[in-house]
Amino acid sequence: MSTNHHHEPNIFQLEPVEVTHDVIARTRSRGSRYWGIVGLLAALLVIGLVGLAMRMGSDTTKLGYYAATFSFLFTTTQTAPLVSVAFRMAKNHWRRPIARASELFAIVGLFNLLIFIPLMLALPSTEGRWTIWIQAASWSPHVFDTMMLVSLVLCGLGLLWAGAIPDFASLRDQGGNRIHRTLAMGWQGTVRQWKIQRGLLGFLGAFYFMGIIWTHYVISSDFSMSLVPGWVDSIYPTFHALSGLQAALATMLITAYVLRRWGGYKDYIPMETFWGMSKIFIATSLLWFYFWWSAFITYWYGRQVGEQHVLQLINFGPYIYAFIIAFLFCCVFAVLLLMWNPIRKNPGALAAIAVMVLVGLFFDRVRLFVSSWSVSDLRNQHQLDHVPGTVLPEAPDIMIIVGLIAGAILVYMLASRLIPVMSIWEMRELKLYQRSRMLVRKKVMVLGKPE
Amino acid sequence: MQDRKDLTDKQINDTLTNSILRTPLHWYILTGFFATIVLLGFVAVGILANRGLGMTGMNRPVYWGFFITNFVFWIGISHAGVMLSAILRLAQAEWRRPATRAAEVLTVFALGTAAMMPIVHLGRMWRFYWVFPYDWARGIWPDIRSPLVWDPHALSTYLIGSSLFIFVALIPDFAVLRDKTSGMAHSIYGALSMGFRGTVRQWRLQAIAGIILSALLLPVFVSVHSIVSWDFGMAMAIPAWHTTIFAPYFVIGAVHSGVAGVITVLILLRWLFRWDDFIRREHIDALGRLLFVVANAWLFFFALEFMFGLYHQEGTEVVVRDLWLFQTPWNVIFLVFIFTGYIIPVPMWLFRSVRRSFPLMLFTTILVNIGMWLERFLLIIPSMGRKHSFTFVWGDFAPSPIELMIVTATFALVFMLMLLFAKVFPLIPIFDIKEGNVLRDEIQIGRRTVQAVIREE
Repeated sequence: MSTNHHHEPNIFQLEPVEVTHDVIARTRSRGSRYWGIVGLLAALLVIGLVGLAMRMGSDTTKLGYYAATFSFLFTTTQTAPLVSVAFRMAKNHWRRPIARASELFAIVGLFNLLIFIPLMLALPSTEGRWTIWIQAASWSPHVFDTMMLVSLVLCGLGLLWAGAIPDFASLRDQGGNRIHRTLAMGWQGTVRQWKIQRGLLGFLGAFYFMGIIWTHYVISSDFSMSLVPGWVDSIYPTFHALSGLQAALATMLITAYVLRRWGGYKDYIPMETFWGMSKIFIATSLLWFYFWWSAFITYWYGRQVGEQHVLQLINFGPYIYAFIIAFLFCCVFAVLLLMWNPIRKNPGALAAIAVMVLVGLFFDRVRLFVSSWSVSDLRNQHQLDHVPGTVLPEAPDIMIIVGLIAGAILVYMLASRLIPVMSIWEMRELKLYQRSRMLVRKKVMVLGKPE
Repeated sequence: MQDRKDLTDKQINDTLTNSILRTPLHWYILTGFFATIVLLGFVAVGILANRGLGMTGMNRPVYWGFFITNFVFWIGISHAGVMLSAILRLAQAEWRRPATRAAEVLTVFALGTAAMMPIVHLGRMWRFYWVFPYDWARGIWPDIRSPLVWDPHALSTYLIGSSLFIFVALIPDFAVLRDKTSGMAHSIYGALSMGFRGTVRQWRLQAIAGIILSALLLPVFVSVHSIVSWDFGMAMAIPAWHTTIFAPYFVIGAVHSGVAGVITVLILLRWLFRWDDFIRREHIDALGRLLFVVANAWLFFFALEFMFGLYHQEGTEVVVRDLWLFQTPWNVIFLVFIFTGYIIPVPMWLFRSVRRSFPLMLFTTILVNIGMWLERFLLIIPSMGRKHSFTFVWGDFAPSPIELMIVTATFALVFMLMLLFAKVFPLIPIFDIKEGNVLRDEIQIGRRTVQAVIREE
């Protein structure tokens, strides 16, 4: 432990073989608490599906909460793999303990795809409305958005698989089932196989990065902005993607905390991982304000009637309380809390802030999607002539919100039974790159930085 | 492969102060050349002041021409300093060390040059101070609701902050120069070093001041170009300007051209002062990768700006895009802009061999800034020329020789100031390089030696 009143550098202590055995054992063993939670989530999902059945077929202006929930789940879960992709590109070692947990969220994309189908069918045609598809056929958003989402889900699954091949091989060699044998694709760990795997990770990661940005673009435009006459906001898709990145970090902070606290991975997930994420987290919280402000000031300054009505609709009118909660939770409180080093060095505090940000994000999606779906039947208008009133959630909406969020968590938990939530090979690799040595009178960590 | 060479502290001191203590002949030649162009530029400004704005190519309805284009361009270049220095310092990126000082200095000189442009554009440039809020002479206040009033305040805040940032970073190097000089130079460097002796407390204070200033400057850096963008975005009547994405679009464009500008300057300085041991291939490789990411982000914003211009299919908005794409000479300029700003350089940066080649990086980064200058030109001129639906108030713009001379002189001015700075102060931070040497290490993995860094808890 400590000598000369200095802390020992926080070096990952487990030996490679221990990592393999430990992670595989944790993946296979699940206690009654796990199955209890799974059962509860499954029950909530059923309730959500009942709520969805009750909502379908009703007036499209009532589908706002469903759209907001879809956007919330898409934003949080499908942007989460970016945490692994971006920091792998930047060659940050601290992302290793959360790399798999991040990529595992790609599986939730399948769930999102399923709940997207009814929403896509309910989306009004583009006739009489401005859309990003301009003069294209009226079914363009339905077809092209579906194609984009399907492509993104497939790319995410490919990324998850490519990142997990060596671990599938470890599971196979430790008495894994047929699925593991199939997914390992005859992996033996040859130099050539490693090179191909690295190339695949880079390639799919780059595509996922581009794919998620453009999918945010089409989802935010087609399922929100273009439903409101006169809402022409070129920064909105970027705001949607940026809040997605913030939500992805929040999701990963919570996941990392849960894995560390209850998943038995305390030795794997060091403080550096939380510290590294928290710095980007505060940056995204600041950017939330910057992107919102850039849109707001341009509209507010312009004083054009249509634009003022849009400002009223999504900010200061019927959804002002949702806006205030979003503004405070995603930006003001987040920045004011995260600016303090002791908070950013406390996993529990970070997880609590992350929960707050996700709550803020949900209300943000409410103000953006419920408001726009509430005017979705207006056509052949170039500006919003009046601001419709607040659409408050009814029982089916509450059921949908709770049920679909529970469904997403359920899918993730079930997937963690099949795929180790901790990347065995990345942690073993980390062990190779870490050393400790004396610098003057202090013991420090030496971190290998391969090109 | 890294091509670094182990240097002792003395060798670092000697090499990096060499440009200050001894003056090579080519420094005089280059400085003299740029000074001549700057002098011609000042003559052109004098003619403009004497004869008025009629000497320029600006005419109804195009009232913003080369000067404002150049203003936006230099503001953009100025963004590299904080981007590289502050962000990379906070991110603990080791490769930033040789690049930070040149980037910071480029920020200050580019900002100063940018600030001159609107003043020259005023015509009656001796009245520039009217923009500041005082009323005892005129009995009126400037309209603080105008972005044109926000501009000088944001710009001067950034200029003061950046200058302070450089000064704080220079203190340990002033101390080195104080100890290596005598006479008047010793006194000046002694005063500037503020009694720096390298005690633990002084180092700690210097480091904390650097971090605090980095954090404070970041919002200022974002706000400056955002406010410049609002000069355009708040104008309701000009097509292609009133769009919400302008602020981040301008900022990311600024970073694109600014980082490219820093690479250009670093490669030229390396050649000029023989800094081969300090500005190495791995540095421009890392900068090239950063530039690749920034360039793609910029393209995304550009695509959004372009597409949302067509989104509502309003006549004047479509006309501007039509000008860009289909009307000569704008389409030629557009093609040159998009090829030089993105299509040629960015795919080239995918290749490691290009990112590690000094001539190719010099070539591609110069291309980027040609493209980015033209981008600003395209944003400003066609929109002003077609801001009305009626053809009788349409107009075009062709720069006059006076404008060409002044704009050329601004480039010469920045290069000249960089050279003058290098003659008086170290353009590569001496203490930062030494710190980097202390914190670097190597580890053995199997048969391979891997570069490593020391991370303090």
